[in-house]
Amino acid sequence: MKATLGVLALALGASGALLGVGTLAVGLARHDDRLLRVGRRYVFVVLAAAVLAAGVMEWALITHDFSLQYVADNNALATPLLFTITGLWAALEGSILLWTLVLGGYLAFTAHKFRNRATDPLVAWALLVGLVVALFFFVLTLGPANPFKTLATAPADGRGPNPLLQNHPLMAFHPPMLYLGYVGFTVPFSFAIASLVTGRFGEGWLAETRRATLVAWGFLTIGIILGAWWSYEVLGWGGYWAWDPVENASLLPWLTATAFIHSVIVQERRGMLRVWNLSLVIATFCLTILGTFLTRSGILNSVHSFTQSAIGPTLLVFLGLVAATGIGLIAWRGDRLRTPGRIDSPMSRESAFLANNLLFAALAFVVLLGTVYPLIAEALQNKQLSVGEPYFNRMTTPLGIALLFLMAVAPALPWRQTSREVLRDRLLVSAWAGALAMVVAVALGARELAQVLAFGLGAFAVAGIARQYVIGVRGRRRATAEAWPVALVRMVRGNARLYGGLVVHVGVVIIAVAIASSSAYSTKREVRLASGQSATVRGYTLTYTGSHTQRSGQKNTVTADVRIRRGGDDLGTYAPAISTFPNASQGIGTPSVRTGLREDVYLTLISSPNEQGRVIIGVAINPMVLWLWVGGGVMAIGTAVALSPSLRRRARRVEEPAPVAPPTPVPEKVPV
Amino acid sequence: MSRRAVAWVALAAVVVVTLAIVAWPSGGKPSQAERVRSVSSELRCPDCESQSIAQSSTETARAARADIRTRVAAGQSDAEIRQAYIDKFGPSILLKPESGGLGILVWGLPAAALVLGAGGLVLALRRWRREPHLHPTDADRELVQRARPR
Amino acid sequence: MKHRARWIALAAGLVVTVFAVVLATQVGTDPRADANKSHLLGANAPSVDLPTLDGGRLRTSDLAGKVVIVNFWNSWCIPCQEEHQALADFYGRHAGDPGFAMVGIVRDDTDDAVRRYVASEGVPYPVALDPGARASLEYGTRGQPETYAISPDGVISGTRFGPSSVSNLEQLLAAAREQR
Repeated sequence: MKATLGVLALALGASGALLGVGTLAVGLARHDDRLLRVGRRYVFVVLAAAVLAAGVMEWALITHDFSLQYVADNNALATPLLFTITGLWAALEGSILLWTLVLGGYLAFTAHKFRNRATDPLVAWALLVGLVVALFFFVLTLGPANPFKTLATAPADGRGPNPLLQNHPLMAFHPPMLYLGYVGFTVPFSFAIASLVTGRFGEGWLAETRRATLVAWGFLTIGIILGAWWSYEVLGWGGYWAWDPVENASLLPWLTATAFIHSVIVQERRGMLRVWNLSLVIATFCLTILGTFLTRSGILNSVHSFTQSAIGPTLLVFLGLVAATGIGLIAWRGDRLRTPGRIDSPMSRESAFLANNLLFAALAFVVLLGTVYPLIAEALQNKQLSVGEPYFNRMTTPLGIALLFLMAVAPALPWRQTSREVLRDRLLVSAWAGALAMVVAVALGARELAQVLAFGLGAFAVAGIARQYVIGVRGRRRATAEAWPVALVRMVRGNARLYGGLVVHVGVVIIAVAIASSSAYSTKREVRLASGQSATVRGYTLTYTGSHTQRSGQKNTVTADVRIRRGGDDLGTYAPAISTFPNASQGIGTPSVRTGLREDVYLTLISSPNEQGRVIIGVAINPMVLWLWVGGGVMAIGTAVALSPSLRRRARRVEEPAPVAPPTPVPEKVPV
Repeated sequence: MSRRAVAWVALAAVVVVTLAIVAWPSGGKPSQAERVRSVSSELRCPDCESQSIAQSSTETARAARADIRTRVAAGQSDAEIRQAYIDKFGPSILLKPESGGLGILVWGLPAAALVLGAGGLVLALRRWRREPHLHPTDADRELVQRARPR
Repeated sequence: MKHRARWIALAAGLVVTVFAVVLATQVGTDPRADANKSHLLGANAPSVDLPTLDGGRLRTSDLAGKVVIVNFWNSWCIPCQEEHQALADFYGRHAGDPGFAMVGIVRDDTDDAVRRYVASEGVPYPVALDPGARASLEYGTRGQPETYAISPDGVISGTRFGPSSVSNLEQLLAAAREQR
């Protein structure tokens, strides 16, 4: 019964999308406002259908209905409730269902937000494109990726989710965050296509969708950071980023989206780069589809990869259509949309943003090329090759350093143009901060060029950002004589995008410094210990105090207790473990991490006690890894600040009616 | 020189010296342990997806590390060790694509793209440059200063 | 340049088309296909000297002149368990042949687990342990089960990755015998 209900819901979604597309298309062709208004409503049908289908699936999961193949494959009676719920996105078919749900939400939000412009062809085209995308994904769920396939005879118990997916509650957040990011880029994409088709530009579609793009970007950032955290804390191989094809697939749209949120500012200010921005938005959306294709088609080796399914060719065809449409539209309309803008000087913030875009495009190119190179080699020379960390690190590090430099210099660059003297004055103090940071790093023993540069440029950038804040607050206080905190808050709200963006940059610097430290200065050792024996690694004394085995439901876990001491202080007992599941072939390791401000002690159990009761424990001392997560949090906070409604928009409203004097105008942003 | 100029020159000096200290080749050839680490970080662990021999803790990876240690001690060069592993496992054992042949694509294209992009940007900026901008330089300021009545 | 956006877009379209064609040709191929071929085919079989489960030693020098089937396996891998019966049947067919030898080398497992498996399931041919994983490395193994056929003059004449049926093993044997 649930299967029928689920399939009906999917069919409802597909037909809703189809009808919506049809109605909007006819309405646009005939300039019929009524049809446009009606067509818009189908978006809500699509959302309702997606909610219903996802709800049915969750219902089936929670009631352990093994007559559904998806439930039998990804759930078992013994699976805890949290992982039963997250089973919705544990495998391909459910993930596509989640995609339709998130897409329905974004489309409904867009339709609601533009409800007063429902008869505007631009908005109608955007909804149409969004509905076409939704239609595609519903067709996927009705065809190759059907989550509601039933089994002829329902087994008594299911297979349970992949053991790696029920190790950690983080499973509840990482995929949904990623999807909130990926799918969110459909909105600016729809508007970009709409803009190209109608030949209309300006009129603020960009500003309206800028917020949606920033929201999607923010979620994608959090999703990627959570993925890195999961990789580190749960998977146990000791690192947070492996340049795995699936990780790269999530990074690619992030890179182009980051380029976009910077270059769109140039467009707002100078009216330039329209076609480039349109291309970036279309490219970002294409990269999300490409990423889904790479991860789901089984075409590349990956720790995330699943068995091949018919979804690969379908996704590839869709990707081809999307790319062809985008490129075709730009070829057709692009020249008409170009504006004769110019950038006055290479020493201006506009130039810095252009350089930023160049670097991000280069980064995206490198990551894409490295990821698909094995496919190219296979196609051209029938050779099987791998591209791994050494290649990516070698190619991305210089670009990252260059971006750090830009981050340090750009906020001090005025718009339009400046002179060397002005720049020199503004950057002097921050540059000295960077130089001193470099000196300190080298004095403390750092000898890797990339790391030292990262420290120096990072300090340079943070000092520059602090300077922006201080000057801004000081200027505001001179005008309004407010208290420091009040001035700070009002200043930020007066230009939330700038100051929020600067906070995001601080987060990026923290992450860059953390990456630089942990990649250069980690220590890894394997120690073989009998019960009671100790080993010393970089000042930490690790004592193996014994192991115990635990059986819970499906899992059989062997845990080793290790006490960590440093210089006489007892830092606690940590317990790396290996779990075996009856349905899986190999043991799954669970690391135990002592997170410290300066460094982590990362313990893994490499082999359980042998006949003599000795274990092999992997010990890694990883500096600064905590700051990766802190940096991610700072980026999230900065994004939230940047999204908060800017005070400037409400400047017209008189907040406190002054009886005699005219309302005090909100002070303009102090020119920096 | 004005005070600011001095500050900048001093800054440049500090930066250059610091970078020189960092980039200074630290005495002689890399140690055997370092060579083992660098070679094993460029070879894929045979029974992993994408981890290197240096990173992985599977039995085969540990055996491979021991094997590489023996080879380094026996005097084999990095290229010889890599070739030995290619003979056994095929070219997919390398994590860093070779630079020859098809490798030109993956090493050269990004550099070419960056150069082309930067070149295009420079050309565009030159095209956009309007009449020369007038900004007071330090020399101008001094001139004004001298001309003002005391 | 007139119509600059158009030219750039068309150039981009060309690149994307080439890229799509490359991807399309690779859809349906198995990225792990390489793992199914051994690169040691035709090379001399590496020599091994390993302890066996019953306390003796297994040396390739002792097996010179015979056709040898080497099977890398362990107790926890499911395809190994699947092919267990086929291996036993195959061995039973040829055990009496003095020019034939078969050995199972354990890969990535603990001695205890192997002993328990052998005790409960029974393995009729000699089982060698591989402490330090030297043999696994020398033979270029990437997982298990992997089966190698070595001709009488010590050349690897056939390999098979993944579980084997009796007919797969017969084919390997025939290929090894022909190799002169």
